[in-house]
Amino acid sequence: MNDFNRDKEKDIRDDIAWAQINKDVLQSIDKPRSAFWQLFAFAGFLFAIGVGCEIYQYRVGLGVGNFDNPHMWGLYIASFIFWIGMSHSGTLLSAILHIIHADWRKPIYRFAEAMTTFSLMTAGLFVMVHLGRLWQVYYALPYPNERWTWPNFQSPLLWDAMAIFTYLTSSMLFLYVGAIPDFAICRDNATGWRKNFYTVLALGWMGTDRQWRNFRVSYMTIACFLIPLAVSVHSIVASDFAMSQQPGWHITSFPPYFVAGALYSGCAAIITLFIVLRHTFRFEEYMTFPILDKIARLTFAIAMVWTYLNLIEFASVWYGHDMYSKEVLIQKATGPYSPFWWTMIFCGSVVPFALLSKWVRANLTAMMIISLLLNLGMWLERWMIVAPTFSHGYYPWTLDHDQWPSFVQWGIVLGSFGWFGLLFMLFCKLVPSVSMYEVKEMVYHRTLARKHAREA
Amino acid sequence: MSFSYMLQDWTKYRSTHPSGDLAKDHPEYKWAMAIDLDACTGCNACVVACYAENNLPVVGKEKFKHGQVMHWIRIERYWNDEDIETPHQGAQFMPMLCQQCEAAPCETVCPVGATNHTPDGLNSQIYNRCIGSRYCSANCPYKVRYFNWYNYPEQENAWPDPLPMQLNPDLTVRTKGIMEKCTFCVQRLRAAQSTARTEGRLVKDGEVTTACAQACPTGAITFGNLVDPYSKVATMWRQQRVELHKDIQDKDRNGDNDGVRGYRVLEDLRAYPSIMYLERIRDTKA
Amino acid sequence: MSAVRILGLFNDFDAAANAIREVRDANLPTLKLDDVTIKSPIEHPEVEELLGVRPAPTRKYTLVGALLGGSLGFSLIASAQGNFFAQLKGGKPIIPLPPDFVLTYEMLILGGVYITVLAFLLCAGLPTRMKSTLYNTKISEDQIGVMVKADKHCIAEVKKIFQKHSALSIQEEVLE
Repeated sequence: MNDFNRDKEKDIRDDIAWAQINKDVLQSIDKPRSAFWQLFAFAGFLFAIGVGCEIYQYRVGLGVGNFDNPHMWGLYIASFIFWIGMSHSGTLLSAILHIIHADWRKPIYRFAEAMTTFSLMTAGLFVMVHLGRLWQVYYALPYPNERWTWPNFQSPLLWDAMAIFTYLTSSMLFLYVGAIPDFAICRDNATGWRKNFYTVLALGWMGTDRQWRNFRVSYMTIACFLIPLAVSVHSIVASDFAMSQQPGWHITSFPPYFVAGALYSGCAAIITLFIVLRHTFRFEEYMTFPILDKIARLTFAIAMVWTYLNLIEFASVWYGHDMYSKEVLIQKATGPYSPFWWTMIFCGSVVPFALLSKWVRANLTAMMIISLLLNLGMWLERWMIVAPTFSHGYYPWTLDHDQWPSFVQWGIVLGSFGWFGLLFMLFCKLVPSVSMYEVKEMVYHRTLARKHAREA
Repeated sequence: MSFSYMLQDWTKYRSTHPSGDLAKDHPEYKWAMAIDLDACTGCNACVVACYAENNLPVVGKEKFKHGQVMHWIRIERYWNDEDIETPHQGAQFMPMLCQQCEAAPCETVCPVGATNHTPDGLNSQIYNRCIGSRYCSANCPYKVRYFNWYNYPEQENAWPDPLPMQLNPDLTVRTKGIMEKCTFCVQRLRAAQSTARTEGRLVKDGEVTTACAQACPTGAITFGNLVDPYSKVATMWRQQRVELHKDIQDKDRNGDNDGVRGYRVLEDLRAYPSIMYLERIRDTKA
Repeated sequence: MSAVRILGLFNDFDAAANAIREVRDANLPTLKLDDVTIKSPIEHPEVEELLGVRPAPTRKYTLVGALLGGSLGFSLIASAQGNFFAQLKGGKPIIPLPPDFVLTYEMLILGGVYITVLAFLLCAGLPTRMKSTLYNTKISEDQIGVMVKADKHCIAEVKKIFQKHSALSIQEEVLE
């Protein structure tokens, strides 16, 4: 796994034949081997656990989740925010790195964007699971109806609904539009039902200069829209908390804090999936070590931003006069949630320092473990935002320090990972997870640069 | 759609509440309460009356321990460890119920608008509209909102035969997934208002009262219309120098409160609650 | 007057560019530069030097879409809020501007993105039926195609130019 002999400077070899690129990536969407079906079945099993728990909860009532007064929210909201957070990776890689012409994003952004779309779909599940009367969720949708009612646009939950809908549809469109040339490649190399499938998806793309010209402009425009959208979506999710007045929540730095946390967990998830896909589909030529190195360093930078925002929050609470917020902070560090809180601090602020070591960044096992730990820290962070404030609010009589989620809540959280796994695995087999035309562009530009350097 | 509504009178749509002018905000009625903590003995009669009046399910010992109880008014007991020499100084009782805040934090955050502010100053909860997101309770500083964690009427069998006969027909029995809270016995208020309107007058002070106020043996709970200057509750608020629209009362500005007992809970959060508590008179060693 | 379309496939962009340059410089009578199309596996913005700047008007649509999205969004939301003038919420104004700002912002982005995608499809001419034009699956792999539409007589000239620049294969198609 430790390839010190590889040329470390180049993100990709500049002598890869384009036909080879096509072949390598297309073999990833071939008929799956048995290992795929086993993993698929496992993800399905996890999802089934979640579905079972939800059916139980739907029929009996939310009380089976061990909620009470004041613990009105629990793991559902925490996981909801976690999944929305994970979705920011795709936008970061795709849109921001595209606008600054960072070429190293080209082999990896396709699956990152897919991760965005599927994370948002998973988050949507939690919105519904969390509601007391799920069968009437359509009350929250803004459309003219026979009840003559509209939802309450003042509510941050409703801003969530609008923002996430915008983000989900925009991400899906961005993913789809960006994949049209790749669907054309698939169409040209497929047979049977797959050929019809890709023919429809490719919309008759032929690579004419008119098509490429408009494609280039449109893709850049959508990327420019997606960046403020991603920032605003997670800021809006943060304002679910920041717009309330509960201690531990009513913090001005929550929107940027959440966005930083989102980028953080997204980058960590990209590392995880990078290693998985590289190994499964033998994408060693494309998902190279220099690229992993760059993502690792990006992750570290974002980890430091997240750590800073955490420290700022602690400092301003500690030195402020708001005794309620201070009590909540002390609760987090020393109360019943303290093992989880300290694990979060360790995973989120201490573990990333391992990424400073070049050896670690080149070691796939270490990177896998680190990325999973980082995401564990981020999931715990979401939980530690939700639960301690509920357990220790303004009103002394309502302090409740020993309420824990039940197996129903844990089961549904597990099920969400299964659901995400199912969607992602389906994606890997239907859509090329490496962007073939962009990799060709990468190789082309490197060849050109080398030629010009030689001539100079 | 009501584009024209929006354009009609823009200033009307941009004013905040409470404005400081009680008569302008609430022309006829503003229901409020005053609870004398010195008179309260912690007997829980108000709690029982509320259960009876509002069809509250008794959840049982297990769920009560779990914190899933449904009491709209609760008697909180606070123990002052320093003064336990004299027995009656040990516990202090505080009936806590929905404060019917003028600027209720729960109202803004409901995604479907199931909780709003009525013209007579109540915080309304519309059971049919509630989809159970529980954000209102998350934002309530007093945590006086109660969620139906289970389906009490049908699945939990909260009222086995013949108990359904004692249910109050003036209001519904709630199913699972719905948030509920104290409504100042709005069913009684509406009935009284309707009678009064038929007779072409306003509701007189003492004509209607809440179940908890009615049941209290010591008369600790006073309920009435704050707009009527001669009502008992308005007189008490005036005597205690507590004003509805202030987040810090004039009498509190110099640190002490001039020896006047009235206060509102968590006033500085600017929810403008409608319930005034009268602090308990403490015996000190002479 | 019968028009013929010819598609020549080349190994790389330089060969294709040279072929196009020669076709352009040959100044054949019935051949307009607009009838020359390049089909490639990756984008080549440098082809604009040879074929002339051609428009990509999607951004005009984007502006319209964004403004439309924002204004429609605000109108919908403010009107919906205005409907409930008797239901105060939290002491805030009936039409509060901070939430309205957030939602208008989102709707602006929504409108912008949707219209841009629509504009892309419109301006790029997608979806299109592939049977009606020359195409070779090698184009999506690594070869660049140059497609020229011209009179039957000029096509022989074009074919010669293609062969001079070592075209890997040439396809012809007679139109109507």
